[in-house]
Amino acid sequence: MTATVSPIYLFNVEKREPEEAELWDAITEQQISDWEGEWGPELSKSIQRLKRAGVDRRSWPQSRHWNWRDKKADHLQGLLACQGFSVVGGGLTQGMMIVDTAKKRCRIESQKNKHIVYIEYLENAPWNRKELFDPPRYRGVGSILIRAAIELSKNESFKGRIGLHSLPQADEFYADTCNMTDLGVDAGYYGLRYFEMTPEQAVAFIEKGNQL
Amino acid sequence: MKIDVTREWCLRMAQLEADSDIGVGRYALNSIFDSETPSPMENLEEPTIAFSRFVRLMRRNHGLTVEKLAEDADVDIAELVEIEDDTRYKPQPRTVYQLANYFQVPRGKLLQVAGLTVPKDSRIIEEAFRFAARSEPVAALSPEERAALETFVAVLSEQKP
Repeated sequence: MTATVSPIYLFNVEKREPEEAELWDAITEQQISDWEGEWGPELSKSIQRLKRAGVDRRSWPQSRHWNWRDKKADHLQGLLACQGFSVVGGGLTQGMMIVDTAKKRCRIESQKNKHIVYIEYLENAPWNRKELFDPPRYRGVGSILIRAAIELSKNESFKGRIGLHSLPQADEFYADTCNMTDLGVDAGYYGLRYFEMTPEQAVAFIEKGNQL
Repeated sequence: MKIDVTREWCLRMAQLEADSDIGVGRYALNSIFDSETPSPMENLEEPTIAFSRFVRLMRRNHGLTVEKLAEDADVDIAELVEIEDDTRYKPQPRTVYQLANYFQVPRGKLLQVAGLTVPKDSRIIEEAFRFAARSEPVAALSPEERAALETFVAVLSEQKP
C-alpha cells in the first residue's frame, strides 16, 4: 500500500524543539509492524511498572493492548482494510487513526443526519503518553490527526464535520482543546462519550493554531 | 490526500495539546483483560512457584532449551530465565499469553496460576499447590514428573460442565 505523505512538525519534548515529521494518509504494513513490535511491548512494560508502583488500575491507560498479538489476525487485517492515517516521526509510527466516511450520520440537532467523517480509532504511541512516559517523547500527534479528519471531511464535502467516541481519559482533549460538542455517554457504544464537531467548530479549531 | 499545515500551526497546537490523552474508539479500548481483573497477589507465592515449575517442566517435556523456547514462543529469554529461576517473579501478562498459546493451555487459567489475576476457581490453585509439591526439577523428566505435569495440564484444559 502506498501513502500520500504530508510534511508536518511534532514537538520533541526532550530536545524542547520542533522536529520534522510526516502525516501519511494510510496505515501500512510499516505501521502494523511498529504497533506490533514497538507499541505492544512498550505498553506491556509500562503497565507492569504502574502495577508494581501500586498505581490504581483506573489510572492505567484504557487503550492497553493486552491482546495486541493474540488478536493479530483479525484486528490487524481490520486496520489495514480501513481508511487510515498515521503520523511518522523519528523513524517510527507515533500515532494512528482510522476513519469511516459512509456509515455514520450527524447527531447534533443543527446538522442531524448529515454526512460525517467518523473517527473509529485514534491512538498515540505509548511513549507519547504522560501516564506511561514522563516526559513523553512527542507532543502534537492528536491535533495533527484531528486536523487530518477535518481536511478529509472538507474533501468529502462534509464541511469539516467529524464525530468520535472518546476514551474516558481523553474526554478533556476533545471537549476543551478541540472544542467539540459533548453529546454525553453513549450507552450503545461501550459507555464511551460521543463528541461531534460542526463546520463552525472545525474553523475555530484550525484558527486556534493560527493564533500567536 | 495531501494536507497543508504550517510549522507554526503544528507547534501552536502541540503546545495546546500538551500531554493530553487522545485515545478514541473501541479498537483502542481493550476489555479482554478487564474481564480477568489483574491484581498483584503478594501473599500467594505458591501459584507462582507452580507457574515457574510448570514452565520448566513443559519446556523439558518438549525437549527445548530455554533459548529455543524463548525463540519459539516469542518471549524474552531473560524473562524466561527469571520465571524458571525466581519463584517470586511476576511475569508479564503478554509472556503468560504467549506461553499459554505455545503450550496450548487456557490463557485465563494460566494467568491465575501465574498470580496475575484473581483466581475464580479455587480448585485450580489447589491443583497448582499439589503440582508444585509433586514435581521436583531435576535434569531429566521422571515418569512421576511427567504424570504430574500431564495431570495438571488436564486440569487446566478441563472444560467447565
